[in-house]
Formats: sequence, C-alpha cells, structure tokens
Amino acid sequence: MKDHLNSLVDKFIDVSGIFIFFLLWEIAPRIGVVDGQFIPPLSQVLLAAGKLAADGSLFIHIAASLQRTFIGLVLAIVIAVPAGFILGGVFPRLSKQLRPLLRVFGQINAFSLFPIFILFFGIGEVAKVSIIFWSTIWPVLFTTIVGVQHVDPLYIKSARSIGADKFTIFSKVILPGAAPVIFTGIRSGASLAFLMLIAAEMIGASAGLGWLVQNSAVNNMMPRLFAATIMIALLGVSINYLLYLLEDNLLEWKQSSGRG
Amino acid sequence: METVLRKIVEKKIGSHTEKDKVGVLLKKIAAVFYDSLSIIIFIGIWEIAPRVGWVPQTFISPPTIIVSTLWDLIVSGVLVKHIGVSLGRAILGFVCAAVIAIPLGFFLGGWFRLFERIITPVLRLLGEVNPFSLFPIFILLFGIGEVSKILMIFWVCLWPILLNTITGIKNVDELLIKSARSMGVGGKELFFKVILPAASPNIFHGLKTSSDIAFFMLIAAEMIGASSGLGWLIWNAQNNYQIPILFAATITISALGLFMNYLFVRLEHKFMSWKESPAEY
Repeated sequence: MKDHLNSLVDKFIDVSGIFIFFLLWEIAPRIGVVDGQFIPPLSQVLLAAGKLAADGSLFIHIAASLQRTFIGLVLAIVIAVPAGFILGGVFPRLSKQLRPLLRVFGQINAFSLFPIFILFFGIGEVAKVSIIFWSTIWPVLFTTIVGVQHVDPLYIKSARSIGADKFTIFSKVILPGAAPVIFTGIRSGASLAFLMLIAAEMIGASAGLGWLVQNSAVNNMMPRLFAATIMIALLGVSINYLLYLLEDNLLEWKQSSGRG
Repeated sequence: METVLRKIVEKKIGSHTEKDKVGVLLKKIAAVFYDSLSIIIFIGIWEIAPRVGWVPQTFISPPTIIVSTLWDLIVSGVLVKHIGVSLGRAILGFVCAAVIAIPLGFFLGGWFRLFERIITPVLRLLGEVNPFSLFPIFILLFGIGEVSKILMIFWVCLWPILLNTITGIKNVDELLIKSARSMGVGGKELFFKVILPAASPNIFHGLKTSSDIAFFMLIAAEMIGASSGLGWLIWNAQNNYQIPILFAATITISALGLFMNYLFVRLEHKFMSWKESPAEY
C-alpha cells in the first residue's frame, strides 16, 4: 500500500511540472502578464487545434510532413547502410581514404544546398525529400562504417573458428554487432531530418506542418501557430519514441542501458 | 683531440637530425596528400564534369570559377563582412546561453533536486519545440532585427547545455564527493576541485552539441529573414542566379563549421586531458 502511494506521489511529481507550466500558460495571458495577442492562452490554442482536426486539414498537413520525412529517411537508410557495410567491411582502406571527403559532405549545411536542389528538381516534393535525404544519409553512413569497424574482432574470429561461413558471420555477428551504433546514427539523422523538413516547408511548400506555421504567422493567426508548433513538437517526440521502440524490439538481445 | 672528436660527432648528429627533419616533413606531406586524395579526386571530377558537359554548367559551376569568385568576395571585403556578422550572432547567442544555462544547471542539478524533478519534463518539452516554428513568434515579439535572430540561437543552444549540465551534476560519483569530504574538503574547494571537473565532460558535450546546431540554425534564420550574413548571401545569390557565389558561400559555411568543430575538439583535449578518450567517431 505504501509503495503504491509512493509511486503515485512519484508520478504526481513527474507530471506536476508540465501541469503547472500549462496552467501558467493559461493564466498569464488572461490576467495580462504577457500580451494575449502574441501568446494566446492554452485553451485558445487547443481550440484552434480542435478546429483544425475537425475539418481534417490537420491530418493532411501531418500526413504531408510525415510522408516527406519517411521517404527521405528510408531512402537514406536503404542507401547508406549497405554502402556503409561495403565500405567498412569489404574495403576498409577505401573507407579510410574516403573519410575526409565524407566528413566534408556531412558538414555541408543542407540549407545552403536547398537552392541548388530547387534548381535541379524544381520546387516540388523532390527538393524537400532530397533535403531530408541529404541531412540523414551522412550520419547514418558514418555510424554504419564505425559500427562495422568496431565489431569486436574476437567475435568474428570465434565465429570463424566454429566454422561459420561468410554469410553467417555477416548476418549473425557483424550485423547485430553494428546495429546499436547504426541505430544511433538513424536516430540523430531522423531528428535532424525533421528539423530540416519544417524549415524547408516554411521556405517553400503548400502543405505540411511547416507551411501551417508559416501561413499562420503571415495571417497573424497566433492560436493556430501555437497549435502547429505543439503538433510539431509532439510528432518529433513520437518519431524519436518509435525509433527507440523499434530499436528495443530489433535489439532484444542487448541489455538496455539507462537512457538519459 | 677529444674536442675535435666531439665536434665531429656533434656535427654528424646535427646533420643527421636535420636530414631526419626533412624526411619527417616529406613523410608528413605525403601523408596529408594521401589522406586528402579523395577530396582532390572529387574536386578534379567536379572541375571536369561541367566543362565537358556531363552536368549543366549553369547549375554546377566548376571549382576554379568558384575559387575565383571566392577570391573576388574576399578581396572586396564582402565575404569578411558577412562572416563577421554571422559569427557575431552565433557567438553572442551561444555565449548568452552558456552563461545562463551552466549556472542554472548547477543550481537545478545540485541544490534543488525536487524542483529539478518537477521542472525537467517542462525543459525537455521546451527543448523539443522546433526553433523554426518559434521564429515567427520571436519576430512578432522583438521585431525583425538582430534580437530575434540572436534569441533563436540562444533558444537552440540553451536546452542542450542546460540538460547536459543537470545530468552531469547529478551523475557525479557520490564516492568522489564523500571521499573528498572525508579528507576535509568542503565548500568552494569541493565544488571547483571535484564537482566541476567530474561534470565537465557532460557540460562539454552539451556545449559541443549546441554549437553545432547553433551554426546550422543561424544559416536558416538568415535565409528566412536577414539583410546580411552568410545565409543571406546564399539566399541573395539564389534569387539573382549567381550560382558561383552560392557555391562559394556554401563552401565558406562548411569550412567555418569544420573549423568550429576542430576548435571544440582541441579545447576538449586541452581541458579534459585527464579523461581517457572514448572511441572516436
């Protein structure tokens, strides 16, 4: 009973901060501590979000943003992971040679490439997806190479000494050994990609959450702007959470370490 | 006789080391060349492709033209001005964030544990808010001037530093503090000699993360609304179809980013030489 109470108190402490924050947000504009014109109270924001959800446009924007992120991310993973395996596992010397070049590529701000992408692919979907693709592919490629090269040689040697063939070594030893590192790369790539996407949609798009923010700002619809902002934050958190879930499921064998 | 012999030996050793130096230098140059071979080949292909017509030259300018554009920009002082503006904004926002976040993190992580537990979810939530969607709000509140751009950098930098500092302070090994206490160390000394060094790897990690994002965000912010800075340079070049300038600005930004990265790695080495470095990515 006491344990139960304690855990309840713990839970209460954990959520109380957020609760107080939302409460302050509701009260402060109403009593005039902050300008209600610029920062509308929470209830109005929720109302705006409800309105968007009711006429279905919210889901269209979410779907548009998610689709772009998903396509870019999947394309980057599909290309970068095998490329990383080949570079890291089959041609380690070549990968060492290519490392400076890849580092320079990874450093190139996807934003400064956006105009070039637009010149090449037009202002449509491809330019936006290619931004996601560009900003995701380098972290994933890097971490894959590192992951493959840092698989404990002892594992590979012992697998070989038991008589495992090359394919078995790859699928049973190297792939699982490198997977945690690869996942780190995918996660950091995904969060970066989502960040970029919103910005790309703000610069040029006709749908998507970034467009929603931009459009609300231009039309001075502050509650809608905040509603879109909250949606973006929620989506970002849930993408991150999904990737964690996926990682946990795929890497069951791994002892989970504490997550900061 | 002895002195003569010694002189000869010294001469020999001297000349020997000199030869060695030249050899080492040559080897170093060869190593650098070997390391950057891929970049050199890439630049070579980049130079040839537009000239031969594999890719349209109007979209991708060859490096020679970009370098000459870069030189023009440097000579006319335009580039230096824009770099100065961009760096000024980035550094101001970053320093403000560090100055506020590190002490705040110490207080939250060290003294007000309960309050920290209550407020951390809020901090995480705020850190998750996309800075771009806040940009319009910043503009509404502070106008389109410098303040809103610096504030955006500040916002982006604040959360990684704050959260990492809190984690760092909270995770200082109790044993270290206890053993220091048992030896009669207290107060200020305990803080500066034990807690601060123990938390510094985390703090550094936060600083590094936020400096990376800061530069990134700045370019985007300058592209959305500014009248100077490297982001604006790109934006303007694109609007006027000055493709070489666009590439030149892109290269400058990447070089600056790489340089800042390098600077942080060096700083980390210097301050944290006592720490065993983990595997390098």
